Amino acid sequence: MKTPWQLMTGGDWLVVLTLLGISVAGIAWLAAAPKGTRVVVTSGDQTCFVAGLDQFHSVDLDGPLGKTHLVIDATGAHVTSSPCPRKVCISMGPAKHSGDLLACVPNRIMVRIESPANEDVPYDLLSR
Amino acid sequence: MPWNRPLIIGIILLLLALGWLRTNSGETDQVRRSQLMMGTIVEIVASGRDTGQLDAAVDDAFAEMARLDRLLSRHYQDSDVSRLSQSSKGSKVAPETAEVIALGLDVARRSKGAFDLTLGRLKILWGIDQENPVIPTPAAIAEALEGTGVQALSLEGLNLIKRSPQLMVDLGGIAKGYIVDQAVMVLKKHGITSGAVNAGGDMYLLGQHPEHPWRIGIQHPREQGGILATVKVRDMAVVTSGDYERFFEQDGQRYHHIFDPGTGSPARDCQSVTVITDSVALGDALATALFVLGPEKGLALLAEYPGSEGLLVAADGTLHPSPGWANYAGSP
Repeated sequence: MKTPWQLMTGGDWLVVLTLLGISVAGIAWLAAAPKGTRVVVTSGDQTCFVAGLDQFHSVDLDGPLGKTHLVIDATGAHVTSSPCPRKVCISMGPAKHSGDLLACVPNRIMVRIESPANEDVPYDLLSR
Repeated sequence: MPWNRPLIIGIILLLLALGWLRTNSGETDQVRRSQLMMGTIVEIVASGRDTGQLDAAVDDAFAEMARLDRLLSRHYQDSDVSRLSQSSKGSKVAPETAEVIALGLDVARRSKGAFDLTLGRLKILWGIDQENPVIPTPAAIAEALEGTGVQALSLEGLNLIKRSPQLMVDLGGIAKGYIVDQAVMVLKKHGITSGAVNAGGDMYLLGQHPEHPWRIGIQHPREQGGILATVKVRDMAVVTSGDYERFFEQDGQRYHHIFDPGTGSPARDCQSVTVITDSVALGDALATALFVLGPEKGLALLAEYPGSEGLLVAADGTLHPSPGWANYAGSP
């Protein structure tokens, strides 16, 4: 009586090893992928800027009033200058957790932090 | 090379079965959309198994919010609120407007005027929302307060009656909350049982987050980006008002947007107030009233609303939670 392993043919082993290789490569690719926390900026209805939260950026965002300046650094994404009258967007401080939102309402700029669903964040929404 | 066909077929069937399970496992989808409206960011989150249903619910909720904003905002010339301010004696209003004003007048009475719907002229005088706000003179403040107060407005059915022709109604302390509540109603009508509507931090949490109760972070009033506390809630409103939202500083003094109707100047006894209650409109009005009243009188007023809890940060930074606040507290 042959064991199941003895019944395996060369072709069977080829299929099994190929599938195993694909699985290992897939896991390695996922592990090497960026953390995934992104800063997504919309101006009006259009997405105008996307960047990783873990990379420094300094960018001017065009809106109807002029340029809103956004900086992404170690503290998060924050507005450093804006043509709007009240500068509420600057005083909102940094956004850094998944779901955090910043906006310059007069200049129609909205900044959102997006992360993979399984990211461990301290809260779901912020009451401010 | 010989092939063991049954084994290959078995593997293929197994992979197909896993694929089928992956796509039909009943996993919850989530639709999350944001729009700029009512002078802030409005975010609606809806979770469920039918993405089409979620999309339709969120679309309709945003449409309802836009409709109500046009009715209740003083920034639209044809809104009920603008028509009221322009009329000398008052006017007939939409049922929704009447509902908001009825709730506002009730909180105004119970808070002994700490919450006030009649401060439109005072808010324009201070111009906190403008580029270069100035501190008004005492005489100008006194003039803007003339004819305001709890008795200055009354509601008979859908007819709103003004005591003073120059009275300007301002629903800024309650309309946003009411509009959020109505958006939640729309989600419920679509059969949504898990979601959230968040208008600049004034929010309602419907059901629970797909994986746990909703965890709400509360902004620290003095640490930019800092969290004062987190709370865990479901089917409740969470509203925060603070002196850090809209303000200017002059000679070391902070002038913010929450006015004490008694003095006509920004209220001084709190840095922030968070209220947890069953509707955002009520939470909105209570947060303002508590902010004006300060910790001691504020917590006394809150005790008159069963099921409502609050956390007040006094002007000196001390925390004043209501007795049942700990039931919602997550972590510091």
